[in-house]
Amino acid sequence: MASLVPCPNCGRRPKEEFTIKGAALKRPAAGADASEWFDYVYLRDNPHGAYEEYWHHTSGCRRWLVLTRDTVTHEVAACRDAADGSRLEERT
Amino acid sequence: MSEFRPILRPVLGTKQAVSSATLRLSPLPEGTIIHVLARPGEEDMVPFLGSVAQTAAHAVRPVSPGQWFIVGEEPMPHKEMKSLFAALEPRASGVDQSHGRVRIRIEGKMASRALSKGTALDLDPSAFPVGQSSVTLIGHIAAHITRVGSEAFEIIVLRGFAESLWDDLARMSLEFS
Repeated sequence: MASLVPCPNCGRRPKEEFTIKGAALKRPAAGADASEWFDYVYLRDNPHGAYEEYWHHTSGCRRWLVLTRDTVTHEVAACRDAADGSRLEERT
Repeated sequence: MSEFRPILRPVLGTKQAVSSATLRLSPLPEGTIIHVLARPGEEDMVPFLGSVAQTAAHAVRPVSPGQWFIVGEEPMPHKEMKSLFAALEPRASGVDQSHGRVRIRIEGKMASRALSKGTALDLDPSAFPVGQSSVTLIGHIAAHITRVGSEAFEIIVLRGFAESLWDDLARMSLEFS
């Protein structure tokens, strides 16, 4: 498991301090039609390999982070504060 | 007027300090804790907070990006706190947490050894020097740890968790007493 998470604000911390909130996907526009929202809310992929995920550092800095994690090896490639960095890539 | 009068008691008032040659665990007086939240985009807040708060060393403690605790040994009169909050605006806002959080001091040669049983934070002086603060878990309780001396730490914890954390810390310290 990705047991040590490199929080950009706090340094390396155990996964117990975090809450995982699922894939970091681009949110549809507020006025998007129902099928697009249904897709966003319910139809999630279960990728084998690299994966971007929201993690919340609940028992630390309490910031939302975007973690790039490999679902096979559980290696963490990158971790950034969700407030900075570019917009999330469009879902393909 | 209601007959009911709430009585404010120090939450750790009945606890005996755990003391030995190598470790001492003691509750700190419930003085002042102010939570400061900066507006987004504000930078160089620490010197500003230091000048506004006019407090002793290590009194302004980082919590997370854009957030600090200002800590004082004595309770701050309401008037003084109001003027402090006014001085913080518009760059930041202050919230009085004096009754919401409790400070515990753990010091001595074995203090970092005892704390390390509960937290994954690297407490080595090279990684966590004097003056450094961090929020982390101690067991299952979230707490804010500051190194206030080479062998002394201060822990700030939510009041409701203070007794529980105290009992945990006392148990963690048993082997050193």
